[in-house]
Amino acid sequence: MKATLGILALAFGGGACVVGITSLLLGLQRKNDALLAVGRKCVAVLLVSALAAVGIMEWALVSHDFTIRYVAENNARSTPLLFTITGLWSALAGSILLWVLILSGYIGVTVRHFRKRASEPLVIWATIVMLGVALFFFLLVLGPANPFRLVAGGAPLDGRGPNPLLQNHPLMAFHPPMLYLGYVGFTVPFAFAMSSLITGSVGEGWLADTRRTTLIAWGFLSLGIILGAWWSYEVLGWGGYWAWDPVENASLLPWLTATAFIHSVMVQERRAMLRVWNLSLVIATFCLTILGTFLTRSGVVNSVHAFSESSIGLWLLVFLGVCAGAGLALIAWRGDRLRAPGRIDSMLSREAAFLGNNLLFVAFAFVVLLGTVFPLIVEAIQGKQLSVGEPYFNRMTIPLGLALLFLMAVAPALPWRAASGDVLKRRLLLPAWVGTAVMVLTLIFLDRSLPTALAFGLGAFAIAGIMRETFMAVKSRRSADKIGWMRATGRTLAGNPRRYGGLTVHLGVVLIAVAIAGSHTFGTKQEIRLAKGQSAEVAGYTFTYVGSSKSVTGQKTTLSTDIRIEQGGKSLGTYAPSVSTFPNSNQAIGTPSVRTGVLRDIYLTLVSSPNKTGRVTIGVGINPMVVWIWFGGALLAIGTIGALLPSVRRRPGFRVTGEAEVEAQSVSVS
Amino acid sequence: MESRSSAPTNRTQSKSRVRISWIVLAVVVIGAFTFSLWPRSGPESIASHTARLSREFRCVDCEGLSVAESATASARAARADIRSRITDGESDAEIRAVFIDRYGESVLLKPRGDGIGIIVWALPILLVILGGAGLGFAFARWRRQPRLDASAEDESLVAKERDGTNG
Repeated sequence: MKATLGILALAFGGGACVVGITSLLLGLQRKNDALLAVGRKCVAVLLVSALAAVGIMEWALVSHDFTIRYVAENNARSTPLLFTITGLWSALAGSILLWVLILSGYIGVTVRHFRKRASEPLVIWATIVMLGVALFFFLLVLGPANPFRLVAGGAPLDGRGPNPLLQNHPLMAFHPPMLYLGYVGFTVPFAFAMSSLITGSVGEGWLADTRRTTLIAWGFLSLGIILGAWWSYEVLGWGGYWAWDPVENASLLPWLTATAFIHSVMVQERRAMLRVWNLSLVIATFCLTILGTFLTRSGVVNSVHAFSESSIGLWLLVFLGVCAGAGLALIAWRGDRLRAPGRIDSMLSREAAFLGNNLLFVAFAFVVLLGTVFPLIVEAIQGKQLSVGEPYFNRMTIPLGLALLFLMAVAPALPWRAASGDVLKRRLLLPAWVGTAVMVLTLIFLDRSLPTALAFGLGAFAIAGIMRETFMAVKSRRSADKIGWMRATGRTLAGNPRRYGGLTVHLGVVLIAVAIAGSHTFGTKQEIRLAKGQSAEVAGYTFTYVGSSKSVTGQKTTLSTDIRIEQGGKSLGTYAPSVSTFPNSNQAIGTPSVRTGVLRDIYLTLVSSPNKTGRVTIGVGINPMVVWIWFGGALLAIGTIGALLPSVRRRPGFRVTGEAEVEAQSVSVS
Repeated sequence: MESRSSAPTNRTQSKSRVRISWIVLAVVVIGAFTFSLWPRSGPESIASHTARLSREFRCVDCEGLSVAESATASARAARADIRSRITDGESDAEIRAVFIDRYGESVLLKPRGDGIGIIVWALPILLVILGGAGLGFAFARWRRQPRLDASAEDESLVAKERDGTNG
C-alpha cells in the first residue's frame, strides 16, 4: 500500500513537472498570465509530491515495511531509530529520492523569492529549466532508481539492515544531506545562466539574482565535504580524513569550479567582462555534480560509496550530455552578445588576481578529474589496469595549493583596476615578514621539507594580511566616526559583510590548508601489542591496556578495549577503541577512539582483539593539528553566513575629511 | 597609513627603508629555500624509508588506500616485506619491480611517466602553461589597446539608439 502511495506521489510530481513546463512555455508564447500562474502552481504540487514521497519512504522505514525492497535491504528491526531515518540516504534509490526533495525545495524557494517578477522571461525560463531538471530526477526515481519497488515473493521476516559503515556514527545524519544541499543548489544558478542565454539578457542581472543561492549551495557543499572528511576520520579508522577516493573527488570537483566562479563573478560585476567564462563555470559546476553522481553511483569506479551497479549510469550520462551540449550550444548561439569590450588595466590588480585564481582552480579541478577518470580511460582503450592515487594527487595539487595560498595572501591587499607598486609594498611588508619568519622557524625547528614550510609561511602571510587589512579599515573608521575600537570594528564588518565574510572564509581555508600540511608531515603511526596491564610508550605517551568488554545489541556486537593514556605520570583518560560485527556482514568494523587535542589527536584503533594469550594489538596514531580542519570548517561556515548578510548602510550625516576618507575607501570599499 | 609625515625627505627615507626591508626579506627567503633543499646529512632511517615507499603501493584488498595507511593483513605483510627488502639493501626501483611483478602495474598509486601514464602527468602541466600563456597574451593585448575608446560598432549602436528614441 505504501509503495503504491509512494509511486503515486512521484508520478504526481513528474506530472506536475510536465504540466508546469508546458503551461509556462504556452503562457510565454501567448503572453497568457493565467497559464503562467498554472505553471507556478505546479511548483507547489511538485514540492508537496516530493515531501509526500519522502514522508512515505520514512514511514515505511520506521514501520519496517519489508514488503518494499529498499526497506528490506537497508533496514532491520534492530536498526536504531536514527539509522532507520538516515536509511533514506543509505543506498542509491533513496538518496536520489532525497535529491528530488531537495531539488523541489530549491525550486519552491526560488519561485517564491521571484514571485513579484514572475512575468519576466528570465524568471520563467529559469523555472522551466529547473522543472526540466526536476522532471529528469522524477523519471529516475520512477524508473531505474525506484525506491518503492516491492520485494519478489513474500516480505522477509527481517530486513538486511544498512551497510555497517553507514550505521556507526551520528555524522551519517548530517554529511549526506549537507552534500546534497550543496550539489542540488547549483541547479538554480545553472537554470538562470541557461535562461539568460535563452532570453538573450546576458548582462549581469542573472548574476545578481543568483549570488545568494550560489553562495548558499557553495557553503553547504563545503560543509558537506568537511563533514565527510570528519566522518571518514571518526569511522573508517585508517587515521586519515581524505583518501582521494573517487567519491571524495566527485564532491571536490564542483566545489573547485564553484569557488572559481564565486571569485570571477566579481570581475564581471565590476567590469562586465568574462561573461562566457562565468557562464561556462556555472554550467561546468552543474555538469560536474551530475558527472560525480554518475561516477559514484553507476558502479564504474569502485568506491565505498558506489552502492551498486544499476542502469542509472546510462541515464545520468545521457542527461550530462544533454546539459553540457545545451549549454555549449547556447553559448555559441549567443556568442555575439557575450563579447564584452572591457579590459584589465594592470597585472597588479584585484581583477588580475582573480584571473590567476581561476587558472589555478580550473587546473586543480582538471587534475582531480583526470586522475579520477584516467584509470577508466586506460582500461577502456588498452584493457590495462592502472591506479591513480594519493601520491599522484599530492604531487600535482600541492604546488597548486601553495600558489593559491600565495594568492590568498596577496590578493585581498590588491585594489581594483591598478595598484601602485609603492602602496602594495607598504601593505604587504609586515604580513610578508610574518610569513617569512614562520617559514624560517618551521625549517629550523620543525621540518626541513619545503612544501610544509611554505604552507605554514604562506598561511601566516595570508592570516597576517587579513588581520592588517581589517585593522587598517577599523582604524580609519574609528578616527573618521570618532568612536571606540569595538564600535568601529562592528561598523566596519557590518558595512561590508561580503568582504569580511569572504575574508573569514579565507581564514578558515588557510587553517584547513595549514592543518593538512601539518598532519601529513608530523603525523606518526605505530602498532603496539599489549597483554592486560602492560604498557608501551609512543611519542612520549604511555598506553596501558586496562581490560576489554563485550556488548551485544540487536544491531551489533561490540568488543572494546580500554586503553589508559598517560603523559609524564599524568593520566589523560581512558579511551576505548572497538571492533563491531553486524549480523548482515561478515566483515568486522573497527571504530577508532580519538583523544582530540589542540595540537595533536591521539588516534587509537583496535587492530586485533585479545588472542588466546589475552594480548591485543592497538594502532596508535599521533595526528597533529587535525582539529584545526574542523575548526577551519566552522569558520568557513560563519564566513559564508556573513557574506550572505545585507550590508548595513551608514547613517546619513556621516562626515569624513581628508586622508581618513581616502584610506577608508581604498581599504574598505575595495 | 603607516607614514603620515608630510616632509618630503621623510617620505623618501621611509620609501628607501621599505625597499631595503624587501631586499632583506628576499635574501632571507632565498636563504631559507637553499637551506631546505640542501642535501641532508646521514642516511634515511629504515622506518621512514619504509613509510615513504609503502605510500606508493596500493593495498590490494582495500578500496583506495595505500599499503602505508591500511591495517589489513595483506598491507601489514607488504609493509614487512618492504622493510626487510630495504634492510637487505634492495633499491627502491628493485622493490617497485617486485611489486609490479607480483600484483600488476595497478599496484602503483602513482602512474609511471613512460607509456600512456605520461598523459596524466603532462596534460595538467600543459593546461597551466597554455592558460598562463593565454592570460599573458590577453594582458599584452589589453596593454596595447587604447583605453576607453568607443569602437565604430559602439558608436553606431549609440547612434541607432538615439535615432530610435528621437524618432
